[in-house]
Amino acid sequence: MRHDNDKKTAVMVMSKADAFTQAGKTAVLQNIHGTLQFLQRFPPFNQMENAHLAFLVEQCQLRFYGPGESILKPSAGPVEHFYIVKQGRVVGERPDSAETTFEITTGECFPLAALLGERATRTEHKAAEDTFCLQLNKPAFIKLFALSGPFRDFSLRGVSSLLDQVNQQVQQKAVENLGTQYSLNTRLGELAMRHPVTCSPLTPLREAVTLMHEQQVGSIVVVDEHKTPLGIFTLRDLRHVVADGISDFTQAIERHMTQAPFFLSPDHSAFDAAIAMTERHIAHVCLVKDRRLCGVVSERDLFSLQRVDLVHLARTIRNAPRVENLVAIRGEIGQLVERMLAHGASSTQITQIITLLNDHTVCRVIELTLAEKGDPGVPFSWLCFGSEGRREQTLHTDQDNGILFDARDAAHAAEIRGLLLPLAQQINQSLALCGFTLCKGNIMAGNPELCLSRAEWARRFAAFIREATPENLLKSSIYFDLRVVWGDEQGCEQLRQGLLEQVADNRLFQRMMAENALRQRPPVGRFRDFVLTRKGADKATLDLKVQGLTPFVDGARLLALANGIAANNTLERLQQLVDKEVIERLDGAAYEEAYHFIQQTRMQQHQLQTRENQPYSNRVDPDSLNHLDRRILRESLRQAQRLQSSLALRYQL
Amino acid sequence: MSLFSWLRPSRPGLDEHQQARLQQLPAAPAVLGETTLRDQRWVVLDLETSGLNLNRDQVLSIGAVVIEDGAVDFSQQFERTLQRAQTKLSPSVLIHGLGPSAIAAGCDPAEALLDFMAFVGDSPLLAFHAPFDQHMLGRALKDSLGYRLAHPFLDVADLAPLLCPQAHIREAGLDDWIAHFNLQVGERHHASADALATAELMLILFSRARQQGLDSPAALQQRLNQWKRRKQAPSF
Repeated sequence: MRHDNDKKTAVMVMSKADAFTQAGKTAVLQNIHGTLQFLQRFPPFNQMENAHLAFLVEQCQLRFYGPGESILKPSAGPVEHFYIVKQGRVVGERPDSAETTFEITTGECFPLAALLGERATRTEHKAAEDTFCLQLNKPAFIKLFALSGPFRDFSLRGVSSLLDQVNQQVQQKAVENLGTQYSLNTRLGELAMRHPVTCSPLTPLREAVTLMHEQQVGSIVVVDEHKTPLGIFTLRDLRHVVADGISDFTQAIERHMTQAPFFLSPDHSAFDAAIAMTERHIAHVCLVKDRRLCGVVSERDLFSLQRVDLVHLARTIRNAPRVENLVAIRGEIGQLVERMLAHGASSTQITQIITLLNDHTVCRVIELTLAEKGDPGVPFSWLCFGSEGRREQTLHTDQDNGILFDARDAAHAAEIRGLLLPLAQQINQSLALCGFTLCKGNIMAGNPELCLSRAEWARRFAAFIREATPENLLKSSIYFDLRVVWGDEQGCEQLRQGLLEQVADNRLFQRMMAENALRQRPPVGRFRDFVLTRKGADKATLDLKVQGLTPFVDGARLLALANGIAANNTLERLQQLVDKEVIERLDGAAYEEAYHFIQQTRMQQHQLQTRENQPYSNRVDPDSLNHLDRRILRESLRQAQRLQSSLALRYQL
Repeated sequence: MSLFSWLRPSRPGLDEHQQARLQQLPAAPAVLGETTLRDQRWVVLDLETSGLNLNRDQVLSIGAVVIEDGAVDFSQQFERTLQRAQTKLSPSVLIHGLGPSAIAAGCDPAEALLDFMAFVGDSPLLAFHAPFDQHMLGRALKDSLGYRLAHPFLDVADLAPLLCPQAHIREAGLDDWIAHFNLQVGERHHASADALATAELMLILFSRARQQGLDSPAALQQRLNQWKRRKQAPSF
């Protein structure tokens, strides 16, 4: 209060009334109060009790770091302080490279893992610009950790707790539409609360069924003296017994049970059980730990709770009598996805389920077409490419398919093609009715160029690798993710092996693919925020698929093909690349998490669009996301950027 | 005792306890030391006064934070509103926001000033436009305690342009520097918040000083004196 101009501005902004009402407050020290309010804008501080937060602030020191100044480094020994960025930006650098691995900005904290692990940081933390950090000493951190639940949860889970919060938000949003909350991630051990009903293999049928009747259960597990399951007998088996006209109910149950029943461990998730039931068309899964039966989970256990009738849906698809029925059923898949999001399924789980149901639909369409048009009498395999091949389909999906068959020579191949093409075209049309949009690029089995013998496919693929024109590179990024949906899988595997060998040998092709993989740059600038494109009068947006997912998909494909990895799915590829030590474990985990998050954001967006009757779009306006989502999206895109720079380094681009 | 002491209004009587506290205050350091900037404890001060008149106006509130070990220590903060019997409601109330009710609810000035000097200890003081604070605080200490303020003061308003010559803001006020460094200030014209803003500015300035090879309070003082001399010398 000493400059006249200060005075004037103050007089202008502050009315007399304000000045008098503000005068009285002295209870909390002004600066503690101010810092408290600042922190309350960010998680986890916004969930903490005021008293705990005040304790934190009172114990803090405020430090300044100039640009490039080191805040923490691996050589400094175990971490002694917890930091919150009050203003500015902190970047992490691995000791072996000057590459930025992460960025921490206003309201974010570090280094949780090192502090809790009582070790040094693995990355050097440096100020990227003028930066103020609140610094809390370790004893105070520990006390706060003991005092505050939200702070403890946050610290224990670190950044992944941010992701959890996002998931919780997703669930809450979806749950508002639905009612109950139930997680597909629940351990099976927690679901199977009842003691399983068991009997020995020599138990007479009548006795076993009586037991089932008394206990009101739909299955009985047949176990040996060590409680190892030998078989399972369900109401369906009983139906068989009755239908077969067996009247001797004193027969031992082992003669009628299903042998070697499918089992999972109690640590598997409800999702695993749902997938197993869908794939295997079974209604009961035994839970086995250390070879001893410890529970049974039935379809009803899973679905009475969550009403996600996945198995039912899969079964209906597989038994649909006509294509028209399939069209009707397909609408339910959208509802299923919505319910799954509500029940806490991850994007990977959902893409997996969509792929599974799509595969069932494709198979059923093929079966129905064969029944209608007559079997041509030539064995063939139905291939799919692109996202379908990678098992990464969302509801919004194109057809990318082809046919593979065996032929003696060119003339034989042409003859078979003539037989299969009308069938393939019919299948393409029927699939289009079921919601698989016809491919604009005509990458469909009904196209004579995509209905080929194994030798023809092999020649085609070899040409892609030999002549790496832009067009061929684009094609290889679609076709090289091939997979068999229907029919024998051997031919396809042989094709893939040939492919892997040729790519591994061709460094030039790899380099061109790497160049191709760098074309789509993730939209993050050097300075913390997004770099957006603006189309005409539209709002500035970024494309989650092309700019966010494609860098991961392309990068993983290239590295997988170059390193002899046969997996198609991006996350599986990353996993195996880590196992083969092609990429570092930490990096792999970061890529996986980032990919996951972008996919999740994309799906939520699609769900929202469906609900609001808008056309599907992968473009998102980051401003429409909440603070947390924006931050994580930014970090995720930065991981895509890192993957690209590692490719650039590897292939010297 | 001065011969003219009888001309002055009588000094408010301090009770025994207050006298004892006054005696126990540590002696002020004569000059700034040769330790590193980080090892020196500093007190950053801001006063709100009833006006800008150096002889007539009174200190209404004191806000101070400590820079120790190179950081602002939130556990050491000072914030007092002083009880003043006969303050007229002047336009400055609109700046510092201390209404008559707040002033009336304040604490005994002698107690507050004793608390403050104990808080300061033997640390040098920093303030924005320090001569003003030095004078007002000195007068308050003399009037209320008969204490002579001898602590060294450094003026942040001088240090800032000295250490950031590239900033090109002349005759800048605290607001200008706050804007220049994009500092986030809770509530301007509140003694404590202003003291914190000044302290944040000082943290930046200490960092710049170290970069320029000035790493002791004495070196800083010396450079400041040179700079002021050069500024006052007529340029050719």
